[in-house]
Amino acid sequence: MGVEDVKEIVLKAVNKVLEKKGKQPLIELDENLSLRNDLGFDSLDLAELTVRIEDETGVDIFEHGVIDKISEVLERVKISG
Amino acid sequence: MDKIFLIDLERSLVKTYSEFFRDLENKKCLNKIIKASNPYDVFLLVTRSLLAGVTVDLIDSDLSDSEIVRLGITDRDLSEKLELERIRIPDFEIFKESVLLGSKTWKIGLYTSGTTGRPKKVYHTFHTLARNVKIGSKYADNIWAFAYNPAHVAGVQVFFQALMNQNPIVFVFDLEKQKIPFALEKYKVTNISATPTFYRTILPLFEKPVETIYRVTLGGEKFDPGLEGELRKVFPNAKIVNIYASTEAGTLLSTDGEFFSIPAGKERYFKIAEDGELLVHKEYLGESTDVILDGEWYHTGDIVEFTEDGRIKFVGRKNEMINVGGYKVNPNEVEEEIKKINGVLDAYVYARKNQLTGNILVAEVVLKDKELNLQEMEKIIYENLRTSLQNWKIPRIIKFVDEIKLTRTGKKVRQ
Repeated sequence: MGVEDVKEIVLKAVNKVLEKKGKQPLIELDENLSLRNDLGFDSLDLAELTVRIEDETGVDIFEHGVIDKISEVLERVKISG
Repeated sequence: MDKIFLIDLERSLVKTYSEFFRDLENKKCLNKIIKASNPYDVFLLVTRSLLAGVTVDLIDSDLSDSEIVRLGITDRDLSEKLELERIRIPDFEIFKESVLLGSKTWKIGLYTSGTTGRPKKVYHTFHTLARNVKIGSKYADNIWAFAYNPAHVAGVQVFFQALMNQNPIVFVFDLEKQKIPFALEKYKVTNISATPTFYRTILPLFEKPVETIYRVTLGGEKFDPGLEGELRKVFPNAKIVNIYASTEAGTLLSTDGEFFSIPAGKERYFKIAEDGELLVHKEYLGESTDVILDGEWYHTGDIVEFTEDGRIKFVGRKNEMINVGGYKVNPNEVEEEIKKINGVLDAYVYARKNQLTGNILVAEVVLKDKELNLQEMEKIIYENLRTSLQNWKIPRIIKFVDEIKLTRTGKKVRQ
């Protein structure tokens, strides 16, 4: 799976969750963003994010422990995907 | 010395025990059904009812109108009040005595979620709720982080543990997650009890361990052995205790590992049915517990196994209730609310597993008019659900389908 594809999938999933929270979707993916602190994701948001990404890529990003940064999310998908 | 009763950072509220006692004295009447969004009010009203030795019900503050109807509660019920006799609470010793006096006749109704149809109300006495509350000088210096919903059984139990030892309560249940590590550090919290989901959500936010915590309790969800390691890093001086409890029975068992031991001498109160369900004898629950029994046995609804050395391992829940981050959701209820929405023909709600909260809800929705704009419909569905369901009952993912393949029990959905 190409790097750009992965970024697009993650961006789409993140935006779906942001929309539901009534927040503005991201235009592009900033790898330094913290899911909890910058995007304000709570546990249900994070759970939804993992399921959406898993549906598209087959990868459970929290399988080997909980992560927080977008860069970590991308890494997990690239490694296993 | 005026001990602190409550520190509620989210609502910028600090109350001392003296203020709490004054507020209790000044409460002249009480609603039969306690519904309050401010945790201090919940604590105040529950305690006042206990001192009066009366029967009250406790419900979630964020229930919608249709959810309240589903519980069988009318507007008249909600406005029914009780007149109270005057009380005087000059100090904590008198307070404790008054509590023990009131506890002889006090009853509180808590709601569980039923499998189908109406959720059930379960009555507890102080004896059954405070079964595991320990009072003594050993606990006098405890400082509690309160991380449960104050209207649920776990929250009420933690509240009594703190209250009866005159311990301060630091309310973190709805505190912004980023502020929690600071709060635990600043107030030198010694005890914390929460669901595995709660811990999983906050642990990554700790930059350094909190050394003051000496006891970490987990409850409300199936234990996660992977979490234990993470907890030990952030709370290095803590004993980790796992609690098995239910709204119906209160706390039944506790353990410091994954498997539960039946207390010595109590083996005859526990048995496993043919389908693996754990049954508990009514004598172990105490006479005043108002639960449904099968002869003399209480059905826990949990499927268990015995380990090699005779301990109990939890395998899963028996019925179709879905555990989302510690909260039980009845998928039938969610489906009903979705079907009420204009444009929806049918709905099927099920669980999708994930590492963080155990499950999230997914809804398959069939629309009446297949030509409708799906994005628009999704927005409309969420707008509606936000007013009719509590947050965790709302499906995170909606899939529009042409038909619903099968129900949970494998039958085709009937109109």
